[in-house]
Amino acid sequence: MADASNCDFGTLLVADRLDKVYGEGDAATHALKEMSFTFCEGEFAAIIGQSGSGKSTLLNLLGLLDTPTGGSAIYHGTDTTKISKLERATLRAQLIGFVFQFHYLLPEFSVFENVAMPAMIAGTMPADEIQARATETLSMLGIEGMGKKNANSLSGGQKQRVAIARALMNKPSIVLADEPTGNLDTVNTNLVYDLFREINKETHTAFLIVTHDRSIAERTDRILEITDGVLVQDVATRDMVG
Amino acid sequence: MTRVLSLRIAWRFLRSSPGQSALIACGIAVGIATQIFVGSIIISLQANLLNTTIGSSPQVTIQAIKESDPVRFTPKMKDLVYNDPRVKPGSVAPVRSVPALFSNGTDSSTLGLIGGELKDLDGIYKISDKTIEGKASLGNGEIMVGKEFSQKFNIHAGDSVALALQGGQSGTFTVTGVFDLGSSQFNARQAFVSGKVPQSVLGWANDQYQAIDVQLIKPYDSKAVAASWSSQLPGVSVVEWQSQNASLLAGLTAQSASSYMIQGFVLVAVALGIASTLAIAAVQKTRQIGILKAMGLADRPSGRIFLYQAAILGVAGSTLGVIFSFAILALFSLSPAPFSISMDPKFVAVSACIGVVVAMLSSIVPIRRTSKLDPIEVIQNG
Repeated sequence: MADASNCDFGTLLVADRLDKVYGEGDAATHALKEMSFTFCEGEFAAIIGQSGSGKSTLLNLLGLLDTPTGGSAIYHGTDTTKISKLERATLRAQLIGFVFQFHYLLPEFSVFENVAMPAMIAGTMPADEIQARATETLSMLGIEGMGKKNANSLSGGQKQRVAIARALMNKPSIVLADEPTGNLDTVNTNLVYDLFREINKETHTAFLIVTHDRSIAERTDRILEITDGVLVQDVATRDMVG
Repeated sequence: MTRVLSLRIAWRFLRSSPGQSALIACGIAVGIATQIFVGSIIISLQANLLNTTIGSSPQVTIQAIKESDPVRFTPKMKDLVYNDPRVKPGSVAPVRSVPALFSNGTDSSTLGLIGGELKDLDGIYKISDKTIEGKASLGNGEIMVGKEFSQKFNIHAGDSVALALQGGQSGTFTVTGVFDLGSSQFNARQAFVSGKVPQSVLGWANDQYQAIDVQLIKPYDSKAVAASWSSQLPGVSVVEWQSQNASLLAGLTAQSASSYMIQGFVLVAVALGIASTLAIAAVQKTRQIGILKAMGLADRPSGRIFLYQAAILGVAGSTLGVIFSFAILALFSLSPAPFSISMDPKFVAVSACIGVVVAMLSSIVPIRRTSKLDPIEVIQNG
C-alpha cells in the first residue's frame, strides 16, 4: 500500500476521505464512504470490486468528472474541490487521460483528429507539435496507417486503441481506465493490457484501471479492492499470497 | 485557440448532418427573402405614391399672408431659399398665376395660367419631361396646355387659342406643347405661360410673385424647412405639403406599420424555427459535447460551438435569402405592375445582417443547455 513517504518519484494524487452520496433523504445512496489512499507518479494499479461497489464513482471523482459530497482529490498538492469549474476542466485536460469501456470517439472527426483533440482543447501545443505528437502516439499504438479513416469505420479493438492514443496525447500524468476491455475479446484484452504496461514502463505514465476481473487486476502492481463503497483492501500484487 | 476549435467543431457538426443544416439555412433564406421582398414592395410602393402625389408639385410654398396679394422675392428671401442645403438644386420656381377663360363658341372652360421661367417650372413640374406632344417652350405669346384640355377642345401643338383674361383683357397664344402631369384635373384646368403674362395682367413689379414654389431633396423635411423659414421671414406665409395631405400621411404611416409588423412576425417565425432546430441539434450532440467536456473543453467554448453553428447558418441562410429575393423580384417584374420595384442595397444589407443576428440570438437555448451539461451525465449513461 502506497503512502506519501514511499513514492519513489513523488506523490501524484491523494484521495482524502472521498465521500459520495447520490440522491437525498430516503432515496439517498452512499456510493463511496470516506475513502483515503495515496497514488504515486508512474504507478500501475487496478481498482476491483463487484458491480455497484463504487469503482466507477471513485474513478469519476478522481477524473474530476464528478464532485465529491465530502473529502477531496488532491493532485500535486492542489485540492480540486477548492478550484473553479474552469480550473478543474484545465487540470483534466493537462493531467488526466481517460479510457472508457465505450470508446467515446467523435464520429464527426477522423482518427487523427480524435487523437489530436485533447491537445487542441488544452491549447498548450503549437500546431506542428500536435501533428508530430499525434503521429507518434498513433505509431506507438500500432495504428499509424489509420489516421485519415473515420473513427466509425474501425473495428472494436482498433477503436479502443484510438481511444488509448487519445488518452495519451497530452502526455498525462495519469490514465484513468474504466473497464477498458469490457467490450473486447480475450486476444484484444491481452493486447490492451500489454500496451498499458509497455506505455507505463516507457513513459512513466501512471495507470489506474477499473475492472471486475481479478486475473486482469493481478497483472498490475497494486490492487485497491472496494466493497460497498469502502476500500477493503489496498495491496501490492507482489505481496499477495498464492 | 479554443475559438478556432469551437468553430472547427461547429463546422464538423453541421457537415455531419447536411440535410438538417440545409433545412435550417433554407428556413432562414425563406424568411429573409420574404422580409426583403415585402419590405422592397412597400418601400417602392410608398416612393411611387409619394412621387405621384408630390413629385410634380411644390413641397414648400412661400406666399403672401392674404393669398391675392403678391409676395416680394427679396434678396434676403432668395439668399435663404437658394442657399438652404435641404432644397433640391434647380427646384425653386417663383410663379405668378391668373385665371383665364377659354371658349370655342360652343363650349368654354376656365384655365389657370401659371406663369414663370420654363427652367424654374421644370424644377417643380418637370414639364419638359412630361410633354407628350410638340415641345416645351414658354416664350412670348406661347402656351402649354394639358392633355385633357387638348382632347376636350381638340387643340394641338401649333394651334392658336384666344383667352379672356382678368380685367377685360384678352390674349392670343400659340400652343407649343401638350403636357401630361398625371392628374387629369390639373391637365384640364391648368396651363403654363411666360411669367410676363400674369405680371402684365396683374400689374405687379418684377420681384412680385404669387408664390415661390420649392421642392426638397427629402420631402419629409418640409415641416422643419417651413418652420425655419417662417421664423426668418416675417410677414409671409410658408405652407408645406405634409400639413395639407394629412390623410395620405396617415395612410403611408399605417402601411409602414403593417409592413414592419409582417417583417417582425416573419423574423419571429424564423427565430423560433432556428431555435427549435438548434435545440434538437444540441440534444443530438449531447454525447459528443459530454466527451469533449470530459477531455477538458470548458463551458464557454462548448457553448460557442452552437453560437458559431448559428452564425454559419445565419450567414449562409441570409446570403441565400438575398439571392432568393432577387429571383422573386425578377419573377415579379415579369408581370405587369403599376409601379416598378427596386431593392435598396442598404435595406438588403440590413435585412441580411438582421438574419444573422436573429440566427445567433436563436442559439441562446442550445448554448445554455450545452454550457450546463455535466460530462458525468454522458459518461454514466454510456
